[in-house]
Amino acid sequence: MRKATLAIFGLAPCFLLQPADTQSAPQDDSTHLRMNVVLVQLSIAVTDSKGNYVNGLRPENFEVTEDKIPQKISSFEEGSGAGDTASSNEGEVQTQTLQAAGTVPSDPHLQTASTALPEAVHANQASVFVLFDTSNYMYRGFVFAQDAITDFIRSMDGASKVAFYSYCRDLSRAMRLTSDHFGIVNAVRSTVAGDDAALYNSLLLTVKDAAPLKGRKAIVVFSNGPDNASSVPPEDVAELAQSTGTIIYIISTRQAEEDPASAAAFERMSRVSGGKAYFAKNWLDEKKAFSSIREDLVHLYTLSYYPQANPNKGWRSIKVRLIGKDLQKYHLRTRDGYRLVAQR
Amino acid sequence: MRFPRRQILQAMCLGLGVCSALHAPALSQANSPSASAGPASDSERYIVIPGPLRSFLRMAGISQEVSPEQVLPMLARNVSLYGFSGGNPKEYLILLDRYVHQAKDLQRLADPQGVIRISGCRDANELLATLGYRIEKGCGRRDAALVTANSERAFLTIDSGFPLSALEQALQKDGPFEHPFSGTTVPVLLTDAEWVSASKWRRNASDNLLDVLLHDQDLDRLYSAMAKFDSATRLALDESPGLKRLAQSAAIVDLYGGQICVKSGQVIVPGEADKAWQEIAGESPHAPGKFVTSLLSKDGGWLAAYFDALSRLNASQQVHFTEGSRLKRFYNVYRSTALRTDASRGVYPRNGDLLILLSSVKWLPDGDVSIPGDVAVWDAIFTQMAKSREVRPWLGRNHEWNTSGRLLETLVASSNYRSEAGPIQVFLLLSAIDAARSADHQLSGEAEKLVAHRYAHFSHWFPIFAEFPALDDSAITKFVAAADKIDSISNTNLKANALGAFQADVGIWQILARQHEIPDDQLNSSWLAVVQPFTGVGSSAQLFDAARSALQGTLRAASGDPNISQDQIVDLLAGPVHQDRDSQRVHQHVANRIRAVLEDQRLASLDSLFGLYDGLNQVAHGSTSGSSLLPLAESLREFEMPRPIFTGNERSSWAPIIYSSRHAELQVRTDLTRILKSPASPAQLEAARGQLTPFLRDTLVGLNYAYYEPPGAEVLHNNPLFVRSHDFTSVSVQGVTDIWDEPRLVGVGVTAGGGAYLLGSLADLPYALAMTEEDFIVPKNVQALIWREVVPNLLVGATLPRWWNVSPNELHVAALYQKSGEELLTASANNQELRAKVSTILSDRIPPVRLEQISNRLDSKRDVKELVSTIPPADLFFLAYAFREKYPDLADQTGPASKQLSALCSKDPANSSWQRLSVDFGVPHPSFLVTNSSALLMTKTLSSYGGNAGRLFAESWDSNNLYWARIADEMGYSPVELNLLVPELTRNMITNIFASNTDDWPALQRAMVQTGEEFRNGKIARETAFAAEPAEQTQNKSPNQELKR
Repeated sequence: MRKATLAIFGLAPCFLLQPADTQSAPQDDSTHLRMNVVLVQLSIAVTDSKGNYVNGLRPENFEVTEDKIPQKISSFEEGSGAGDTASSNEGEVQTQTLQAAGTVPSDPHLQTASTALPEAVHANQASVFVLFDTSNYMYRGFVFAQDAITDFIRSMDGASKVAFYSYCRDLSRAMRLTSDHFGIVNAVRSTVAGDDAALYNSLLLTVKDAAPLKGRKAIVVFSNGPDNASSVPPEDVAELAQSTGTIIYIISTRQAEEDPASAAAFERMSRVSGGKAYFAKNWLDEKKAFSSIREDLVHLYTLSYYPQANPNKGWRSIKVRLIGKDLQKYHLRTRDGYRLVAQR
Repeated sequence: MRFPRRQILQAMCLGLGVCSALHAPALSQANSPSASAGPASDSERYIVIPGPLRSFLRMAGISQEVSPEQVLPMLARNVSLYGFSGGNPKEYLILLDRYVHQAKDLQRLADPQGVIRISGCRDANELLATLGYRIEKGCGRRDAALVTANSERAFLTIDSGFPLSALEQALQKDGPFEHPFSGTTVPVLLTDAEWVSASKWRRNASDNLLDVLLHDQDLDRLYSAMAKFDSATRLALDESPGLKRLAQSAAIVDLYGGQICVKSGQVIVPGEADKAWQEIAGESPHAPGKFVTSLLSKDGGWLAAYFDALSRLNASQQVHFTEGSRLKRFYNVYRSTALRTDASRGVYPRNGDLLILLSSVKWLPDGDVSIPGDVAVWDAIFTQMAKSREVRPWLGRNHEWNTSGRLLETLVASSNYRSEAGPIQVFLLLSAIDAARSADHQLSGEAEKLVAHRYAHFSHWFPIFAEFPALDDSAITKFVAAADKIDSISNTNLKANALGAFQADVGIWQILARQHEIPDDQLNSSWLAVVQPFTGVGSSAQLFDAARSALQGTLRAASGDPNISQDQIVDLLAGPVHQDRDSQRVHQHVANRIRAVLEDQRLASLDSLFGLYDGLNQVAHGSTSGSSLLPLAESLREFEMPRPIFTGNERSSWAPIIYSSRHAELQVRTDLTRILKSPASPAQLEAARGQLTPFLRDTLVGLNYAYYEPPGAEVLHNNPLFVRSHDFTSVSVQGVTDIWDEPRLVGVGVTAGGGAYLLGSLADLPYALAMTEEDFIVPKNVQALIWREVVPNLLVGATLPRWWNVSPNELHVAALYQKSGEELLTASANNQELRAKVSTILSDRIPPVRLEQISNRLDSKRDVKELVSTIPPADLFFLAYAFREKYPDLADQTGPASKQLSALCSKDPANSSWQRLSVDFGVPHPSFLVTNSSALLMTKTLSSYGGNAGRLFAESWDSNNLYWARIADEMGYSPVELNLLVPELTRNMITNIFASNTDDWPALQRAMVQTGEEFRNGKIARETAFAAEPAEQTQNKSPNQELKR
């Protein structure tokens, strides 16, 4: 496993604590409201045409623009799966390492600066929230889904912290973010079947829990059917996930897929956040989906930047592309923008 | 676990009666039928539930916090409510039954000590098979895992909370595993054998009560009902008419039998009117078996419903209704309309409206009924109502209303009319308005007729006139005129904007009036200034003028300046600012919360809107150039719709009716910069001004939403279309015509619908917002869910009342009353004479079975402190207050709090009165009192009711704010800090609620006390605690420390 962390401009650690875009940060001391953009972090999956992960890319291979304004990458990290030849249990996911892309620069000054950054130090440790549907939709597949989730949690390496939440009409924070995977498995097996399914409400609360975390953060939703009890729409959840840099993966069953609105929402909501949606026909498919998510998480590139001055107080579009010889053929998956979030 | 019969024997030795205040002191159970029935053996008084109680409670949907005595009654209640559909078992019951069988299988694997033990991999197979699991990757390996082998069994294993992970861990090490799995003994009401023999369901001889409860719905209802009786009554009814007979009327017993009480060989009847009741029932109350049989079976249960409603009244009210021939006359008219329906249909009692009516009737000194207005007015009102085909049948047979008695008869008859706008509601409202007004300021006949005539349309708005008695008859007339004018607008968009702006302006007036920021002598004139501008609205620009003028009318009265900025308006809404630091800090916090909602809803600022509007006017008059307004026009364009996930076509096909963002989409398309950049005609400039009206409506509406933000709100902060989507004219749902009704939440669970929104008016907005936000509160207990029937009311009780003008003395007195109530109860453990007095007072508040439990605990003289913690603060308050009223000479003799209270009451009687403290620390009871004014009810905690009375149960719980006030007093908080503490403590309390069914009020008491303890111990989030810190410290805190949502 190779970890490559790079700070480009030798930023002092304290700089990270400063608002980067004060122009777009209306401040009002009387109200204690702040509108801050501290740092924009992107988790990026790079795959070839067969879906294999592409490793070995360097920061200079990425070009980031925000509202067409070029951005300077301030930190860069390659996922812990880089260089792994191992694939998933099912042997479906292969890894391609680009020898031609070169190695990480060995400038000791940059590396020192990098390791001094709080985000960078822990960036490789993903925070993963599992959100499990315990609504009455789940009754038939409840235990098989639990098997798949426990398998997934066991398979997460020690670098990841996991939280386990369940939802029906209400959210249950069964186990907060922890490295105690036994505790998580125990929480999975302590769930109780509930009633209606308020997926989007619960996902919103989970995104908010994930929002303040640094480093890669992802929510893995296991849903067995359409939402029938939420008052917030998927649009708002997707936007918050994008704005807070939280990746959403959704594993669902055919019951949700048969509802076209849910199928579209699951697919699009996860895509815009940089994640993926899976529709499993049976519990074996569920296990494969979990395996795929695990692979995705360990192969993500993580880069960040401080936004350049930008008068736009609304939605800011992010575009990332690969530059360099033969790199345009690869596919990128990451969030495509964000909205300034009020910090209170 | 084993529970001896001591509790039953104790009940038989009680020195206190528990049925009725009128009987309380003299009663004893020595003469009860049970005395001669002979005790049953211990083995018949309990049964064994297979497996651990915790697992069984999980599967049965029962709170883990219940006592063993409550297990079977709760089980019976849940099975009767959720277990059957058309006589067939539903999923809940199927799973519970399967679990019981699986638990029995597991119990067979346990050793004689009741422990399931395996030594390791070699003897795990049978256990795994029973649990529905198998081991994968080889037992004894570190990566071994348990996976599902039999999904049906595995589901039960998980759902019942079997420690599967511990078993798995043991098998990974090939090590031993132990798990206690002995059965749990729980007490039975009466005896196991009696219930089994009373059941129609029977499979084999070994079946016990648990098997019966899992299969016999009638017996479930009866068992649940019998748990509501005190032990003497239960034993008497068991003897006669007996369980089998009672089971034939199980639904009636369940719904209306809870107040039946047998003492000294007779049924205690309301008003002690034995003869009158005998005449109606056809049997004497002195023959309990026959009387109860007749009561339950007569007229399809409606006599029982009548008896139940009367029994719930306090003693003095009962006497009024049983005087002369009233009891029979009223029953006859009640029955005449009741027979159209079935008293036992459905799961809720159907006598809620009757109870509200009977509770609210006031009496004149001569014994006659007090009615608002005169009989002639009511004759006119009813004559008008009788013209309606729908209402006429419910008015009874006699259509002459020339006496107050006839009027009351008609109201009793109409209590079966299940409408929110029936005669009873009109009567209650008019009574409430007149009761709030002074004697020389009562409603005129014309005003009464107007209110009655228009009640169906404005039923949710007229209560304002009961809340603010300073509003005179012209205020009512002008309101109706303005509302009618708006109703007559034909342009749908203009009408929607007019409805929103008008109601929002009224809402702002209401908030400031309620916070006493509008001087009393200006209430009426400012009201007129709010409503009158809307009588001349014909265009969008006119509507803008009207909405602004109305707002200015309120602001002028509240601040003296009609043109204050939005920030200053928010400051007004955030409550009056006093000189002290606490007040200023709390005020700032409340204002910040309002601003946060406005910000998150991305609403245009009033300052920009008014500036732009005035600027456009000036452009039209040539006094300024359009370019100077461009920055303001640009600011309107900052609003963006959320990033779409669905296309327009997809929304049309997947959410064809619900999607309601057209109003917001229209705003996105509004671009005034074009008109400002080029020469425009006066007409174009007026049209441009009109385009600002939707923005103004939304900001005004947003101010109302923000003010009533429930604690823990998420929709208000994360769905920026929520305010804009409010559908005032019901364009999104066809067929809804009652646009002035309370708002309902629409679009829940519609994926492509763009989010839920409110449809209807702004009346009762706090409740609608509470319903919207309640499910974002996360319960602490895994098995618990947010209690839909109750939580919105709890939230309203925390957001609508405010405590800006409560004095420290009032706070302290509220605490002392509760402590004095505790002292009285504690002292009564050793003083039989005092106990009799206490019991008599409490019998007006507490049902017989609960009184019996209290008496038992006091008799035992153990855990009295714990007992006291189970008594709702409102009951303690009532006890201390009533005792003080009734026995002033004894009032200060039971302890230091009582003594201190006496001193304070003497020193400051006005601020120690029930009336004053009721306003300070009560909650709104719109169903009971037809107003949103805060008050404490003088009534027993009720059951869940259906129909119009659906909120009765939740409204009858008004202990929270009293309790929070006590805690605040004890911890040294100033009263103004209740404005922060109460919402936060209430939210925390809601997370702690672990209820088993729809009228589980002890769950509320437990959650409230637990929350109080958590707060005292510093376990509640710091944002509540910061309020006690000096202002300098708070100002130095970061925003994140200070504001946490």
